[in-house]
Amino acid sequence: MIEIKNVSQSYGRKEAKKTLSDINLTIRENKITALVGANGAGKSTLLGVLSNITPILSGTVTLGGRDVRKIKTQDVAKKIAFLKQSQQMSIRITVGDLVEFGRFPHCRGRLGQEDKRKVDESLEYMNLPDLRSRYLDELSGGQRQRAFIAMILAQDTPYIFLDEPLNNLDIKYSVEMMKIIQNLVTERNKTIVLVLHDINFAAAYANHIVAMKNGQIVREGCVKDVIKKEVLNTVFDHDFHIAECGGKNVCLYFDQVQN
Amino acid sequence: MEIKVGKQRNVRLIAVFAVILPLFPAACALYIYSRTYAKSLRLGLEITPAEFSSIMSRAVPGLLGMSAAAILIALVSLSFQTITQSRILTPSMIGFDSLFIATQTVLVFAFSTTGGLFESPYINYFISAGVMLACSMVMYRFILQSSGNNVIYLLMFGLVLSGVLENGSRYLQLLMSNNDYYRVQAATNVTVNNMNTSLVFLALPALLIISVLILYRHRTYNVMSLGAEQSQSLGVFYAKELNLNLIFIALGMSLATALIGSLTFLGLLAVNVAREILKTHRHFPLFIGAAVLSALALILGQSAVELLQGAIPVTAIINLVGCSYMFYLILRENRI
Repeated sequence: MIEIKNVSQSYGRKEAKKTLSDINLTIRENKITALVGANGAGKSTLLGVLSNITPILSGTVTLGGRDVRKIKTQDVAKKIAFLKQSQQMSIRITVGDLVEFGRFPHCRGRLGQEDKRKVDESLEYMNLPDLRSRYLDELSGGQRQRAFIAMILAQDTPYIFLDEPLNNLDIKYSVEMMKIIQNLVTERNKTIVLVLHDINFAAAYANHIVAMKNGQIVREGCVKDVIKKEVLNTVFDHDFHIAECGGKNVCLYFDQVQN
Repeated sequence: MEIKVGKQRNVRLIAVFAVILPLFPAACALYIYSRTYAKSLRLGLEITPAEFSSIMSRAVPGLLGMSAAAILIALVSLSFQTITQSRILTPSMIGFDSLFIATQTVLVFAFSTTGGLFESPYINYFISAGVMLACSMVMYRFILQSSGNNVIYLLMFGLVLSGVLENGSRYLQLLMSNNDYYRVQAATNVTVNNMNTSLVFLALPALLIISVLILYRHRTYNVMSLGAEQSQSLGVFYAKELNLNLIFIALGMSLATALIGSLTFLGLLAVNVAREILKTHRHFPLFIGAAVLSALALILGQSAVELLQGAIPVTAIINLVGCSYMFYLILRENRI
């Protein structure tokens, strides 16, 4: 279980520049939690804090009841996998090499039989075996994102945190990616937290939504509780129109649509 | 398919090492030849065994010193490139060797009355390496963290820092007594021709320790090339690795600079040529390849200079080639 209590974080030492202030959050197990909010609301910072990548100024982050700062980085990496937003690579590697990196927390780079099996299995699950020896820079955006998810899967952690996994993906690949993420929860019992830019993807696929504004959580709850006109209007400082379509709420935010 | 590709890659590595490893003793032999028989042929004089061994007693420490410095430069340059996620930056480009010269100057200036302390090259080295370590830990840690690996920012910082340190050193040197000035010159104006050979026997064990420590961590470097955040999430304690690498870099650069002086572009050249011909992201072959290429470049270059009767210093040749190569890299990659 991951729980954060009274967490504050800031860039620079000034109070005024707080990117997170006094956040309390418990991550729901075996659910998809989406972090939504305007640019600069602190979503990515919160995700970084949850993954033990961004250091915190005050408060505590606990993993299974223990303070993460007291757990070895390597052991945290066996529980939490984090995928950053843009995968700009300074090196040229193949899909296979990338997925093997996922085993690093378990074998420190010396792959044994078990590690190789996990790598093969992850590639299989993400439908990538044919692309195994291809270089990442030869792949399409969707394929590359799948390769990174395969790496995360090989890491074999109960928690998976994704920072804008739909960034740079077109509609088809975005939907495909969200279906994969849903399957990870139902088939593999993963707990997933992700930052989503498009509120409608959160409305359609998330189980739990955390809406943030100015470094604080404005509202959290199930989709029906958060995807509401008055909530979204405050979160995004914008006039929303909520439509219903097939039992799901859809947000319209174009000024041509009148209420 | 996968096995085939893996094999092809290994074949490439074996082929490259089969070519460059034997070149190393060949380069050493050429260097010795250039200092002994080539010279005697040119002057038309017989070389006696006594003369030969007397030349060897200078040439062998020279070879060891050049190899040690070249290998250190290559190893720390590659580790630095991995932690900064850049193919173009090297420690000397962001001012590590200017820092060494400034340290020497300040030490002599501040302790001129207790000059005896610095007569011993070992004590001198340890003090200046310690000072460099402290400075680099404070500065580069701060800079690397606040810049978020912004290469342009780091280059600008290096440029300004080098300028400040070099001119500051020059200013202090003007204020010094003549004796102190010569002492600084003796410590900083070392080149391949005028090597600080007394340091060679300190350099060898240090080289051994640093290379073992760096090579031992080659798998961690592989992961770190994914970037700070991603490697942290894969279980690398990034802040610790960064500090450790800054220690390696400060020790390695101070030793290399104390041995053969400033060689700005050797690291860039060796590391990138190694990447180019080995075509791998794995650090183990890269470290070894870069180290061998670096030593080869320095020794072959120095042999050529001896054979051509020292028309131009080898450092000038290496900097010229390295500098042109940097232009090529910037133009080809279209970014820094």
